[in-house]
Amino acid sequence: MTDYSTPLFYIVAAVVLIPAVLMVTFRNLIYSAAAMILCFIGVAMVFVTLNAELLAISQVLIYVGAISILIMFAIMLTRQRSGEIRLFFHRQAWLALPAALALAVTMAVVLSRASFSTTPGPRNPGTSDLSNLLFDQYAFPFELVSLVLLVAIVGAILLARRERRR
Amino acid sequence: MTPLQHYLALSVALFAIGAWGVMARRSIIVVVMSLELMLNAANIALVAFSNYSPGTPGRGEVFVFFVLAVAAAEVAIGLAIGIAMYRLRERLDVDELDELKG
Repeated sequence: MTDYSTPLFYIVAAVVLIPAVLMVTFRNLIYSAAAMILCFIGVAMVFVTLNAELLAISQVLIYVGAISILIMFAIMLTRQRSGEIRLFFHRQAWLALPAALALAVTMAVVLSRASFSTTPGPRNPGTSDLSNLLFDQYAFPFELVSLVLLVAIVGAILLARRERRR
Repeated sequence: MTPLQHYLALSVALFAIGAWGVMARRSIIVVVMSLELMLNAANIALVAFSNYSPGTPGRGEVFVFFVLAVAAAEVAIGLAIGIAMYRLRERLDVDELDELKG
């Protein structure tokens, strides 16, 4: 049987990277958000190719479902009233691209020099093994994360609430 | 099997694109979106290492679950800051926030 995993990976990587570049370059915020959703779907596909089905489903639920809707709402709540939106790039934006490229080259060099095992070890476990790990060994961090989310909800309401006139 | 290096290269590229967005764009909403891109890049690296390296399987995946939760909290707070800023200034430009400049 022919191994199609590598060509499949290139297709999935294109679904991740092309919308990511479009997201940064689109001038319309709604177009940017749409490109971001496509990029998140691509990341979910990457998770599927890595045998992490539960994470792929969580990615679609949390990023494609919840976070995208939140960002869409924020865009629509903050429409500029007068005239069209004129904020795209900083004046020094041309410096940002070489800086990001330098960051990428640095990380690539570090990764190519690092020595880690690349032999296919144990695969990512199935859903039942993963939930055993999450609710047994990592039960305390799991509960702590719920506290973080509660604090975030309270903080978001406090920040976005309209100020009362005294 | 696709080699691990391919996934790491994808992760590096996505992280750099996210950093570019954070540095280049003025709108605070696009900055938050670019931050999410960078978190996704880190998630890809974590899941890839979890799938390829020996040791207890699934540790990296558990990590990604926690990253997802923290990312959701971060987006909620970031967008609330954006909306509060819009109420004060009627703008979304991060250059406007320069009160701490000496």
